[in-house]
Amino acid sequence: MSADLLFKPVRELGELVRTRQLSPVTLTELCLDRLERLGPKYNAVVTITRARALSQARRAEGEITAGRYRGALHGIPYGAKDLLATAGTPTTWGAAPYREQRFDFDATVIGKLEDAGAVLCAKLAMIELAGGMGYRQPTASFTGPCINPWDTGVWTGGSSSGSGAAVAAGLVPFAIGSETWGSILSPAGYCGLAGLRPTYGRVSRHGAMALCWTLDKLGPLALTADDCGLVLEAIAGADSADPTASERPYRYEVTDRGGFRFGVIPDVTDGCEEAVVANFRRSLDELAKIGTVEEVTLPDLPYEQITRTILQVEAVGAFEDLIESGGIAELTAPEDRFTPYAREAILAQDYLKAVRLRGVMAREIDRVISRFDALVAPGRINEAPRLGQEFRSAIRATAKDVMGAVGNGAGLPAVCVSNGVGARGLPTSLQFMGRAWEENRVLDAARAYQSLTDWHTRHPKLD
Amino acid sequence: MPETPNPEVVTLFALVANRYGDRLTTEQLDEIKRMVEGQVEAARALRAVRLSNADEPFQHFAAYRSDASTPDRSALASPLENERLGSKGAPSPEGRGIRP
Repeated sequence: MSADLLFKPVRELGELVRTRQLSPVTLTELCLDRLERLGPKYNAVVTITRARALSQARRAEGEITAGRYRGALHGIPYGAKDLLATAGTPTTWGAAPYREQRFDFDATVIGKLEDAGAVLCAKLAMIELAGGMGYRQPTASFTGPCINPWDTGVWTGGSSSGSGAAVAAGLVPFAIGSETWGSILSPAGYCGLAGLRPTYGRVSRHGAMALCWTLDKLGPLALTADDCGLVLEAIAGADSADPTASERPYRYEVTDRGGFRFGVIPDVTDGCEEAVVANFRRSLDELAKIGTVEEVTLPDLPYEQITRTILQVEAVGAFEDLIESGGIAELTAPEDRFTPYAREAILAQDYLKAVRLRGVMAREIDRVISRFDALVAPGRINEAPRLGQEFRSAIRATAKDVMGAVGNGAGLPAVCVSNGVGARGLPTSLQFMGRAWEENRVLDAARAYQSLTDWHTRHPKLD
Repeated sequence: MPETPNPEVVTLFALVANRYGDRLTTEQLDEIKRMVEGQVEAARALRAVRLSNADEPFQHFAAYRSDASTPDRSALASPLENERLGSKGAPSPEGRGIRP
């Protein structure tokens, strides 16, 4: 069985499975073999769920043979960021103090994927506590730095690091990640993948590690925007165990439309690497073939300060026990062992001001973005940082990221896709951010962009 | 000429140092001081925006009833209530994944 199979989009794999040209058991065994053989090379995997995977794959095969096909994910292997609870296996949150932690239930997302017939093959590596303690460099996980399949000297991005590495290396066809601020778009962008950050509330967070209750979102990383839509349909929906999970129905619909309206913030490439700017300009030329591109100015608000303040306060609240007890001293990244203490000096009044301003931000951005199908911007400011190197981050105020601050602070959906390579031959990316609950519009736009380009068909050469 | 320290930074840093200083090195405390400076800078940007009396926190609150038919955040049982209800109660916050 050729590994090339794992560089086929989920939609194609699903069709092969549906027409019984491909056995879910064979496909799962291929993934398990690659996860075992190549996973350690990229520090991508925490736990391989072999027994569960084979059981799910055999069940899928039996059902499909019996004519009970469940849909595009039936019999398709995947990996989950190790902050999602799974019964019977450890859920480590990427952090040494929790390496033995176990839950006796599955997160809602895991359950929904099981209902869709998908096959859980692995719990994937992540930055400890989803990066919420203020990490500055890739070695902030008890499983080591996640290595980028495009270049073993560089990082995958984070905090859904293993989710990025595993899909880019063809270990699984798709993976689930989480984003509080940047944690899906970063590994997707650095690993040349499509990553979808859904609207806050689109996907239940039940059973997911809480970092910031009002910012955490779960979403897919895959080879194409289309695949992200297929996965989102399976995981979206209301959940009595998560009151923030919306009852708004979601159905992924593929429309072959044109006439898009794209908006660009004038200074959105400030601070980006030269190649990122050049590739973004080229992307705008491509987008002009399928719609209009116009500059749009956002109202003057302290976007980054709003979202950063909320993130910092919620993160220390969520891990109050670990911080108060001094348990953070057991974390891997030296900076994670003391950064949270500084955040205890944020005044309640300032936090409350940020939460009040968040409403202004949400209303203002909705007014602006409602005129467009999507605001577009570079997905990342640079190519993937080198291992052992400190990276810049808007969360620590060492980089600008207005799109990330607005998108996460207001809970808006965004999809990130590959749009070229930079000076070091590594992927650069383009993001489409839409109005709340308009995942299909940003996916339409990203899919249309991918139909004009072939960056998503390029994969790293693995030794 | 050395810069005059911002009194707000001094006060807020002292709060952290008093509370956690015994578990931190001098280098870590220096870094925390720089972080507090950044936080005060961010707070200044937030404070500079004027809001009206009607600008509420953008966060949902709902009054609680245990028999509420529609789930909302307030329907989550408190840890004390879980303890009282034992296994018959709503899932514990840990079980729900709401808290570590």
